[in-house]
Amino acid sequence: MDDMQRSTLWTDALSENRLTGTWRNETPDYRNLPSPCLGACPVSGRIADWIGKVEKKDYRGAWETLVDNNPFPAIAGRICHHPCETACNRAQLDETVSICALERFVGDTALSEGWAFPAPPANAPAQSVAIIGSGPAGLSAAYQLRRAGVGVTIYESQDQLGGLMRYGIPAYRLEKSILDGEIARIIDMGVTVKLNTEITGAAGLQELRVRHDAVYLATGASRPKPLPGVDYDQPWVQDSADFLAATNAGQDCTLGAHVLVIGGGSAAMDVARTARRLGRKVTVLALEPEAMLPAQRAEVIEATEEGIEFVTGAMMQSAEPGTDGLRIRCTRVDFKRGTTRGAFNITPVEDSEFTLTADAIIPSIGQDADLSRWQDLLAGDGPVLKADASWHTGLDGVFTGGDVASMDRFVTQAIGMGKEAARSILVYIAPDVGAADAPADDPEAGFSVINTAYHPLAERNKPQNADVTARLGNFKEVQQSLDQSQAMTEASRCFSCGTCTYCDNCYFYCPDMAITKLDGGGYEIKSDYCKGCGLCVAECPTGAIRMQEDL
Amino acid sequence: MNALSSNKDLQLLNGNHAVAMGVKLANPHFAPLYPITPQTPILEKLIALQSAGELETELLTPESEHSAMASAIAASATGVRVFTATSSQGLLLMHELLHFAAGARTPIVMFNVNRTPASPWGFWPDQIDSLSQRDTGWVQLYSENPQESLDTVIQAFRIAEAAQMPVMVNHDAFYVSHAVEPVEVPAQETVDTFLPAYKAGLHLDPELGRSLGAPIDQKSWNESRQQMAAAMATVGDLTASAGQDWGDLTGRSYGPLEQYRTDGADVVFVTMGSMCGTVREAVDGLRARGIAAGLLKIRLFRPLPQVELRKALADVPCAIVLDRNYSPGVGGVVHQELKAALFDMANAPRLHGLLAGVGGVNVSAEMIERLAVEYRDAVASPDPVWVEE
Amino acid sequence: MNMEMINYKDDGQFCSGHVACAGCAEALALRVIMNAVGQDAIGVVAPSCSAVILGGHPMSSVKIPFIHGTLESAAASASGVKRALVAQGKPDTTVLCLAGDGGTYDIGLQSLSSAAERNEDILYVCFDNEGYMNTGGQKSSSTPLNATTGSTPTGKSTRKKNLIEILAAHRIPYIATTSPSHLNDMAAKIKKAKTIRGTKVIIVLIPCLPGWGVADNAAVKTARLAVESGVFPLFEVEGGLTYTMTKATKTQPINDYLSLQKRYRHLNDEQIAQIQQDVDEDWQRLTTRAIEADV
Repeated sequence: MDDMQRSTLWTDALSENRLTGTWRNETPDYRNLPSPCLGACPVSGRIADWIGKVEKKDYRGAWETLVDNNPFPAIAGRICHHPCETACNRAQLDETVSICALERFVGDTALSEGWAFPAPPANAPAQSVAIIGSGPAGLSAAYQLRRAGVGVTIYESQDQLGGLMRYGIPAYRLEKSILDGEIARIIDMGVTVKLNTEITGAAGLQELRVRHDAVYLATGASRPKPLPGVDYDQPWVQDSADFLAATNAGQDCTLGAHVLVIGGGSAAMDVARTARRLGRKVTVLALEPEAMLPAQRAEVIEATEEGIEFVTGAMMQSAEPGTDGLRIRCTRVDFKRGTTRGAFNITPVEDSEFTLTADAIIPSIGQDADLSRWQDLLAGDGPVLKADASWHTGLDGVFTGGDVASMDRFVTQAIGMGKEAARSILVYIAPDVGAADAPADDPEAGFSVINTAYHPLAERNKPQNADVTARLGNFKEVQQSLDQSQAMTEASRCFSCGTCTYCDNCYFYCPDMAITKLDGGGYEIKSDYCKGCGLCVAECPTGAIRMQEDL
Repeated sequence: MNALSSNKDLQLLNGNHAVAMGVKLANPHFAPLYPITPQTPILEKLIALQSAGELETELLTPESEHSAMASAIAASATGVRVFTATSSQGLLLMHELLHFAAGARTPIVMFNVNRTPASPWGFWPDQIDSLSQRDTGWVQLYSENPQESLDTVIQAFRIAEAAQMPVMVNHDAFYVSHAVEPVEVPAQETVDTFLPAYKAGLHLDPELGRSLGAPIDQKSWNESRQQMAAAMATVGDLTASAGQDWGDLTGRSYGPLEQYRTDGADVVFVTMGSMCGTVREAVDGLRARGIAAGLLKIRLFRPLPQVELRKALADVPCAIVLDRNYSPGVGGVVHQELKAALFDMANAPRLHGLLAGVGGVNVSAEMIERLAVEYRDAVASPDPVWVEE
Repeated sequence: MNMEMINYKDDGQFCSGHVACAGCAEALALRVIMNAVGQDAIGVVAPSCSAVILGGHPMSSVKIPFIHGTLESAAASASGVKRALVAQGKPDTTVLCLAGDGGTYDIGLQSLSSAAERNEDILYVCFDNEGYMNTGGQKSSSTPLNATTGSTPTGKSTRKKNLIEILAAHRIPYIATTSPSHLNDMAAKIKKAKTIRGTKVIIVLIPCLPGWGVADNAAVKTARLAVESGVFPLFEVEGGLTYTMTKATKTQPINDYLSLQKRYRHLNDEQIAQIQQDVDEDWQRLTTRAIEADV
């Protein structure tokens, strides 16, 4: 009786014999997609990745991920113009994640813990590369090449390493001990350094080219742009680069009590705020209306807090010494931004002349690269050296990057260029070793793929600034670090856009038990059972899965 | 083994209480019960026995007969012996579940007290309530008196559990349910000898994890009915052997059919339930008057013992069916069933279908004698005939 | 990420290869429930989507045995299973009863009420998809105001039956609501219910993809918005009197929930406002009750 009943009344197998995967016409595909911050990052840093490690208190792991692309997280965490935060998806929910402050937190942790880079591979190829200039581009390239085991010699014209980071950025934005610490870590990898060694002209370059397997030329933009109509020989005129180099080196300021800084960019802010710290009254004169000043907004606000006056949308016409200091005649201008970066058109506004007084003028309208010393050897491309997409100049084995080769005048841009050039150099000198990853064409994980249900509103942990009264009269850092608990909560605000965080939502939200958790982490779709509903994709908090049509 | 006639425990019991005593002896694990006139004394007696600590059965008193049957099916599927009881409206309310119980092959035993269904309301003996359930797959047995009800309910468990089919035992409202007679209550050892401890077949068991009754395709459903047919085909023999074994133990034997003084009969009454008692009296009267009359009692109505019926009625000149039921538009159900059973039989009797006692009206022995005289030589009509006192 | 991780344990009690629609929230809920209930259990399932999902003879998608019962008698069947287990000396085996809203709010209410009144030791789970969805989408007494179904083509003219208050009036030990958007909550409530003797009823909101007109990947989102808009609050009622809000706030406007569903696409602003008002009032009443219970 039981046998008969078995066939019609009682089940005798589990449904696993029924392969519902045949219903499917789309399959979930686990693929970490680039986050918008990654796309915006000048060094292509895997931001979602390392912030995820911060959240798990794996600071060492976070640092190792960071320094994969940038050996200067403590520096970048202070002075990066952080386009990542502008791109951050979270801004569309509440406020952007304080990525830059988190990077500083990790970078500072690494320095205070004394973490060093691993020793380069012992069985390294015997090639060597000469690097001319030790600014962010040169040091970044040196680091990446050294990591690959290539011998590196840096030729620096100054008596210390760092270039713009040392001579152009005041200590209240970047403490020298931080700079020294992050540079020392690179040099400790076994980089040969030749200080006070200026390489000029075709002969010098050719000689390096012969001695080394490749040359990386990253001499920066050290020549001040002259402001028309200003006599730089007057004692009351000082160029901004000279001013910053001197003051950064601790030299006294010899200028009068009231300084007029001309320019609206970051360098002008650095000059103005440095002069202010040296006890000067400071006025900034800029062509741009205030809202269009090219300096970072925070710099303008902080400068204003520090008592710096801004005269914007105006230009100097002449300056003459008078009985009571300089009489500086100015006119209002109508400012229009041009189509290329840095380009603009101005039209003086009729009958808008006015007069300012000051004791000194510091023109701070930017610096140009000095291309003249290579002119017989290397072609220019407008104000910068000409190079192809791999940063190879027209001269075989000579690569370039940084401000000498680009108008993208940001420290982290230069770091990114150094990294890219190092890759190209590796391919050039040892094609087997240095082949770069093929560029991925994955779409960016935009806000629409983030399931905000899993991201409750949370206030941003902004880095705090030192009190204004505590800032003046010294060069202590203005921006303060996040403390550990702030860093943790801020890291938890990161959506991890496009990056799997192994939260198991996909596993648990599958109504068909068609997702396997892999032993080593990660997931696998059971194609026998997945019906292609897409719930795993919809409930992925980070947009790290997408449906792919079955072919 | 011979009957324990020397220690007879004779009690004055009405039919329903006799049923309850039989249930007690069969000792089911579970009995859901819902009150309905005239079944209620079964419920009350079982609850009284349980309250007195004489019955271990888990009792459930739900809000309806429907829920009673639903719980009965589920409990049976879980692997325990189950009893329930009802009547008329209650049985009809269960209708859906009667199909279900049979389809699920749950060997439930149910006692039904035959009663007129509404409308209009009535509380009288009439068998249309259970006869109208003839296609549900339940084995149906009809009892004539309290003693037979007690004996049959015990036999029903053995038949149900052997065939893995539910069994419904019926007796008539009041005429049996409330009629008090001396009833021999067998000893527990006697019943234990007859009815083995419950052995569950395939059932709901977490260790087995097999599910019952999931949706199936046409072919499998068809097969399930063929399997029921095979099970039903065993019920005649099971009923016979159960009745025989019971007789060996108690001295009271039963079979699917009973023939009373049919030897050489010119006219044989065919009927079920309490009517049989009256017919016995009439047969004796007719025989005393020289009229060769007899009784063919149908005890097992489903499955209908067709071979036995044909054998019992072969060469009988005249058979009169007394139907205490009415299927509107057709007539008496037993009449119809018997016509079908005897179809194409060369030596079949002339078959009269008399609607006698529908709605519980009295049918006396005198009336039956009169009917014998009136119909034994009459030409049989294919249509039913309403007869009255 | 600052999110609650799902942490119930999947022991494989619910198996792949079942025939639920792709993206079905009921299958998702079954997965949680079957694993939370465990192996020492016998199930009863009323005709419903669940019966289809569990079955497909001769295969079963669950490892515990189920009896596929009748639509109107799930609670009675469960009572029978329980009593049989008691008779067999296995009173601790869980009896799980699964039914839809048709089998619970409508045709099964009588037997459920009876089981509740008897305080039968069963765990009754109602998959409430607010209509007869397995028959193609007709209204039940659980269908909400204005929702269109096959039998309410212009929208239902009356409100959804408040089954929880009906059940609470039976003073059974445990009643709870849960949602496939809150899987930890679901697992926790099932496990809690398992520890309680007597009748436990858990109502699970199941957004029906074809029945409600919801996208294949949006059942969880819809369920989440039902909770967050307050139209389906998550709470518990213990002993019929003690109300506890599992999720104490509602944060989303009702329209975010309604607009995901085709069954509501005919609504005008006035009707949406009316629904919002009803939800607000019901929420107020419920939370007040919860606060009073807390005092």
